[in-house]
Amino acid sequence: METVGDCFIETQTGSQKRRPEEQIDSDVLAKTLKAVHGVHDADHAEAVTRDQTIAYLDDGERALWAHAISRKDAWVLCGPDKSSLRIGIRLGLRDRLVSLERLLGDVGFRPKLDLKTPYTQKWLDQALAQLAQLEGK
Amino acid sequence: MTTTIGARIKSLREQRRLSQEDLAEQFGFKDRQTLSAIETGDRKVAADELLRATQIFGVSIDYFTDPFMLAGEGSFSWRQTGVDGDRLRGYEESAGRLIAAFRTLARQTGREPPLIRPALSLSKQSSFDDASAAGERFAAEFDLGNVPARRLADVMAEKLGILVLMVDPIEGVSGAACRLPELDVVLINRNEIAGRRHFDLAHELFHILTWEKMPPEHVEEIMPKKRSRVEQLADNFASALLMPGAVLDRFGEWGGLTEGKLVDRLNAVADELLVTSQALRWRLVGMGRLTRAQSDAISDDGLRNNGRAKPGKPEAPPLFSKPFVQIVAAALDEGQTSMRRIASILGLPIDDFAELFASHGVEAPYEL
Repeated sequence: METVGDCFIETQTGSQKRRPEEQIDSDVLAKTLKAVHGVHDADHAEAVTRDQTIAYLDDGERALWAHAISRKDAWVLCGPDKSSLRIGIRLGLRDRLVSLERLLGDVGFRPKLDLKTPYTQKWLDQALAQLAQLEGK
Repeated sequence: MTTTIGARIKSLREQRRLSQEDLAEQFGFKDRQTLSAIETGDRKVAADELLRATQIFGVSIDYFTDPFMLAGEGSFSWRQTGVDGDRLRGYEESAGRLIAAFRTLARQTGREPPLIRPALSLSKQSSFDDASAAGERFAAEFDLGNVPARRLADVMAEKLGILVLMVDPIEGVSGAACRLPELDVVLINRNEIAGRRHFDLAHELFHILTWEKMPPEHVEEIMPKKRSRVEQLADNFASALLMPGAVLDRFGEWGGLTEGKLVDRLNAVADELLVTSQALRWRLVGMGRLTRAQSDAISDDGLRNNGRAKPGKPEAPPLFSKPFVQIVAAALDEGQTSMRRIASILGLPIDDFAELFASHGVEAPYEL
């Protein structure tokens, strides 16, 4: 698992936009991540001129997209927010959009708690169908 | 977005008093036409050109691309008491994001701004009676009924296309009117008592309807030593709109009441009309239904909090407004923007979204 600097910072500065904020130990987090990438202005400019709606996302989400589309290797996006799913469809990356349910299943992990609906494969399939229709794809 | 980048390049070029030729040269374009096409949105901006723009103007990429920012487009008029300039500028930026979000997401979800903007045919030369008459006519023509305050916000939104937002602003701010090229907005501090909220709403409506002929000051003191003529006209309009003669008629004569009964009646009628007793008192004096001597005989203490010992905790209306929340819900459902970005703009954690949508009877877009 890798991330970008903005997302790492958000976990430490109370910018989770969740109630209650969860305290995530920075050392533990750093040790469990393979890499934390810096994102430069050139990456942001490339991303936002490639797909204008990346500018409609929050700081960490924008940085993730700017980093992701600059990479040449394989990656998958696992998230419950329709805006990033729609961007993925528009950029022709539909096969990279996976549900947390499937991701956990593929690595052989069974969570003790039920996943929230937007993390399930069924929700993702429905959301992708709706968004693809809106995109005319 | 291409239009956003182009429009913001144009706006900055004009602010810096640069010609298209000058700026085209700085970009390294062969001719002015390339820049012209970018400014009008006819030509896409390349990544290296966007970076060049940030260097030329010394601003961030976000300045050119952020759809939830008013880049020098809106004119605000704040109704406030003793708010420091820097704090007000900071809050204006936050409020501007709410307004920009509505404007952008409404367009993204297929809602067009109103084609025509209504205006009152009043000017600085108009008399206070003219302003009162306009307020009375507004209440009658828009059928505001026996308690005009109750329906005013809905009428402003539905009939006039004005975005009315109930907000939790910084301390000292009562409300604001904001004028954009294609949208009118009124912000109201939802934590004020109902009477003051309604008066502010009607007062700001006056500014919206007279903005071209009487642009209001950027900052307006609620209790200044001397009120400007425009503010006095706005007060007369608001007072008549909320308390039209026809509505006051049903409460009978006021002249023959003893001081005690007069105070009781003022407080009771003000409660019924959702205004303050003081506003009602001055409206009656203005209409000649109370004499100045009768008014002077009334103790301010008896009218404070409409006759209650304490103001009590006001029942605040839900945050923002139903049209605003409907647009946000539609945009989230269509994936036009993200939950986290909306949380940043609204200043709310995502976990509070469900309650916000429910408070306006709007279905949440998906499990939050």
